[in-house]
Amino acid sequence: MDKIRLVLTLITIAIVVIPLVGTLLAYQGNLLGLIVPPELNDLADDLMGGDGDGGSGLEPPTMVGEPQYDAATGTFSASFQFKNSFPLDITIKSLSGNVECVEHHFHLGTASLSEPVSIDAGETGTLTVVGSWTDDAISHFGAAHSDEELVDVVLADFAVDISGIQIQMDEGQMGQMQVPNPAL
Amino acid sequence: MDSISTKFNWFGLAGGVTTIVMLVASLFYPWWQLTIGDNLLTVNASPVNTNFGFVGTAFSIPLIWALNVVALLTLLLSGIAMIIYSVVPRRSFAKPLLDFGYKKPLFTFLFFIIGLVVVAVILQAVLNFNFPLMGSTTNTLAIPFVSGVIISVLLSAGFLWSFWLAAVAAGLCIAARLYHKKVAPVTQPPKA
Repeated sequence: MDKIRLVLTLITIAIVVIPLVGTLLAYQGNLLGLIVPPELNDLADDLMGGDGDGGSGLEPPTMVGEPQYDAATGTFSASFQFKNSFPLDITIKSLSGNVECVEHHFHLGTASLSEPVSIDAGETGTLTVVGSWTDDAISHFGAAHSDEELVDVVLADFAVDISGIQIQMDEGQMGQMQVPNPAL
Repeated sequence: MDSISTKFNWFGLAGGVTTIVMLVASLFYPWWQLTIGDNLLTVNASPVNTNFGFVGTAFSIPLIWALNVVALLTLLLSGIAMIIYSVVPRRSFAKPLLDFGYKKPLFTFLFFIIGLVVVAVILQAVLNFNFPLMGSTTNTLAIPFVSGVIISVLLSAGFLWSFWLAAVAAGLCIAARLYHKKVAPVTQPPKA
């Protein structure tokens, strides 16, 4: 009985020691590799070393054409092209923000993504943003920008949901754009 | 004494078989799973197979892989020992087999839970990163040197059926130890 206990104890020691020591020996020249596998390093390099600005893999969207305004419905729309520089397919599920007049910080209305957009890795997709002006905004355009065909606006409280990750940016992080003056 | 109910240790047999079944299942179905975003990052954890999925690429951490191999071999031997013991519970070598086998599924189960809790506490303390053990939560990530940008991610986690199967296996093995007293009662030496 004692022999059986001894054998079982030796087996227990062996099945604990052999895999651990074997792995340690396999990585003895690269102990960090025990915790950070090479696949993770490659992925991090792909993510951080993209073609985008500053090597972040992220490029800002670029506007396509001019924003459109429908006076009958009081809505506007603008299209942007966005290159997915990340090594993964993404889905932009939602996008929203408040549109503000850059010059007067006046709240003009809200904007949101017309429909979710899926963009494969390395591909470019088109995002259509739609929004509507408030009645006060129409008055503001008429009173404060009566001589401007295009008015500088910015998206404030911008929020975007990319594949389940929500990114919120304040006004300072978003670029300006020009929209047609609905009062003209 | 030799009735069918006490000739074998049925709890031990069930515990041994369940341990082996649980072992095989755990190779394919994790005990616990964490998903970040829409499958951007997944953590599939079990004592015998822990792997990670990041943007569609699966990988494992070598140190955890080695610990998984230790747990796999330990549970395999535990299950085999329990089965052998259960069919010959009164043989002289049976008790050492029982002592060898019955605690390991329970210890594996407990160490897994303790390990998860410890990792959660360390990540919270060091990186201020919270993740749920069960359910969903939204976590806000700080971006160093960047102000005005807030990134929040949805984290969903839960224990899968293989985890509960492991709990059953551990329970059956403990029951086998208790039932052993009925199967092979200790005989008192006759008084002089």
